[in-house]
Formats: sequence, C-alpha cells, structure tokens
Amino acid sequence: MKYKDYYETLGVARTATQDEIKQSYRKLARKYHPDVSKLADAEARFKELNEANEVLKDPEKRAAYDQMGSNWKAGQEFKPPPNWDAGFEFRGGANPFGGASGEGFDASDFFESLFGRRSGGAGAAPRRRASVQGEDHHAKVLIDVEDSYRGAERSVSLRAAVEGADGRVALQERTLDVHIPKGIRPGQHLRLAGQGAPGAGGARAGDLYLEIEFAPHRTYRVDGADVSVDLPLAPWEAALGASVDVPTPEGTVQLTVPKGSTAGRKLRLKGRGLPGKTPGDLYAVLQIVPPKADSDAARAAYENLAKAFPDFRPRAHLQG
Amino acid sequence: MNPTTAVCGSVVEEDVQLTIVELGRACDASEEQIELLVIEGVLEPVGRLRQEWRFGGTSLARLRLASRLARDLELNASGVALAIELLDRIASLESRLGR
Repeated sequence: MKYKDYYETLGVARTATQDEIKQSYRKLARKYHPDVSKLADAEARFKELNEANEVLKDPEKRAAYDQMGSNWKAGQEFKPPPNWDAGFEFRGGANPFGGASGEGFDASDFFESLFGRRSGGAGAAPRRRASVQGEDHHAKVLIDVEDSYRGAERSVSLRAAVEGADGRVALQERTLDVHIPKGIRPGQHLRLAGQGAPGAGGARAGDLYLEIEFAPHRTYRVDGADVSVDLPLAPWEAALGASVDVPTPEGTVQLTVPKGSTAGRKLRLKGRGLPGKTPGDLYAVLQIVPPKADSDAARAAYENLAKAFPDFRPRAHLQG
Repeated sequence: MNPTTAVCGSVVEEDVQLTIVELGRACDASEEQIELLVIEGVLEPVGRLRQEWRFGGTSLARLRLASRLARDLELNASGVALAIELLDRIASLESRLGR
C-alpha cells in the first residue's frame, strides 16, 4: 500500500487553516469534476480530491492523519504504525471513522487502512421497511458502434450490496445478458424492469438503468446519431473529382467526390448514421494527403506541378 | 447466441415517460428537489399539476447530472441550472465545430 499525501492532493501546506483547505478543495473540485472537465483523468483526480478532503476537512481525522508524521512521501510503501490512533478521542462512539458521512466516494486501500471500510453511499444496503419497492440501480455498458447498427447482446457484470439473513451486507456479483437494441445512441439509457434491488415484504423489485457508452473506434466518431469518418484523398482526386470507396459500419459505400474539393469539407451520406426512427447521417470528412517526393520520378512530378502553376500563391492571404 | 436468454429493456430516451415518483426513485432524488429543478427550467415536464407531470426520458440523465453537480460542488438549484446551461452550450458549440 502506498502512502497518500492528502495535503499535496489538495495543494495546501500542512499548516493550512480549515478555511484554506475548504477553499482549495472547492476550487479543485470545480476544475476536476468529471461532468465539467475534459481531462482524461478527471474522474481519478476527483476521487483523490474527495478522499483527501474527507480527511482534512474533519479536524479529528486530520489530527490523526498528521500524527503519523510529515516524513512520508506520496507513493512511498506504507503500513499504519501500531496503535497509530491511540490517545485520540473521537466524537460519537468508539471509531467514528468507520461510519459513512453521506456523500459516496470510493475510498482507497490507504484510506480504509486508517479509517476503516466505509459503508453507505451509492448502492448502499437496502433499507429495512415493510413492503417497499426495491431501489433502482444504475450501471454503464460499453458497446461498439457496430452494435448500434446491428443490435447486439452484451453480458453485463453487476455488483450490488445485498443484505444477508444475518443482517450483514455483502457484495454480490451477477451477470446479465442484455439485448442492445438497434439504433441506440451514446448516453441513452436502457431500463430493465425488475432487475434492480429486490423489494422488501413482497413488493416489486426496483429497475436497472444501463447507461450506454460507445468505445472509442479507430475509424468512426459518433456525435448523437451522426457518424463521421475521415476520408484521405490524393491531391488529384480532390482536384479532378473521383469515385472512392468509403467504409461504413454497414459495409463499403461508393462516394462521388466532386472536383475542386478541399480538405475539411464534409460529404454527407444521408441516413447512413445510426439507425432509428430518424436515422442519423454519415459524414465523410475529406483529408488531402500528398505523396512523398522520395524518388526521381516523384520529384520530377512535383517540379512539373510547380511549373504548371507559376501564379499559385498559397500564402497570398497572409500578406497585408 | 440464444436470443431468448437475453433481457430486453426499453430505451428510456425514446420509449419512456416518467412520473415524478418514478423519476425520483430512478435518480434517488426527492420530489422537492425535482420541483426546484422544474422551477429553474432544468427539467421540463408535460402537464400542469405536479401529479400530472410526465417527464421525457432525457430528464433521467439531466437529473442525474444535476444531482451530481449539486452534491459534489455544493450548488443550489439556480447554480445547477446555470452550470447545466453552460455545459449544454459548450456541447452544442463543440458539436458545431465537428470536433
């Protein structure tokens, strides 16, 4: 287990006041919130922030954390010293660290070794009440573009907290085969009736909501119902016009490139995006790729080209 | 592949309308929280009275987003509304840029 430097995570000094900690956390939380930030590691950063804040915002946890000393470096191999929390008086019971404090976050091993395993939070144990419909659950499913064109089946692994007969909560894993309907779009949800948490006292089970996410594809980009593909062209194909093969998730399509096409131009193939009641469109985004001048013949061809266009001034617009 | 074993669901955004009770349960939100977001215009149900409200399927993702922002950034309903409006604008500008 690696030591975590919570002060470093929040970007504050070990001597920071509670107000400074709060201020810094708020600022970083806005910056790295996964719904707001475009950074690839935003989710991980946000988790770290929350964990650091969970400890440092609470003067008791902070004091206990501080007690381990300031000689530790982030990432260093760590084991909590024996009786590290001895002599501390915690509010409200023997080990208040064990309890949850509302907001759900996934605690790291480091956190749990110090403050105990958290209970509560998202997907927590079902409440014990007479005849109550089970809770609705949420999960994400990753599919490929092709799955939306054809429809597919996906196995989804789900972990849910289940209360056993002895009243203890355990994580239970199950696998569900789910039909992915044709035409589903990224960000849409599938509702599976009765696949959520079981109801209490004979009431019906909750529903399971699956959020559909598309795996990044090497050829296709998806925006809503529309799909784009980059289409590289030789300069003469763009200049003179051509008929070229375009890959689509449904198979190759012949596309007429009009003469005088420029890079970045989008050619629309109507209705060839994701299928559905109103199917999306497929866009071929033109790119122009010049051949390399790596042989005498190629160099001669470029020289002839230069001779053929004595008045061509590609940078004319840059001069005042 | 045996099609009979797979569970079929409905596409929330296209085939489903939710009452305030169903939406609240699906997103673990209270009816009061939902009502505040309706007042702010974040959620736009059809129907005049609260009991008659029907939310389109896109409300599900919106309410989940609103709940995360409110919880994580300690925003009130109008703060959430402003943030979502700006996020919507960024998304539509980005989509116009064609990436």
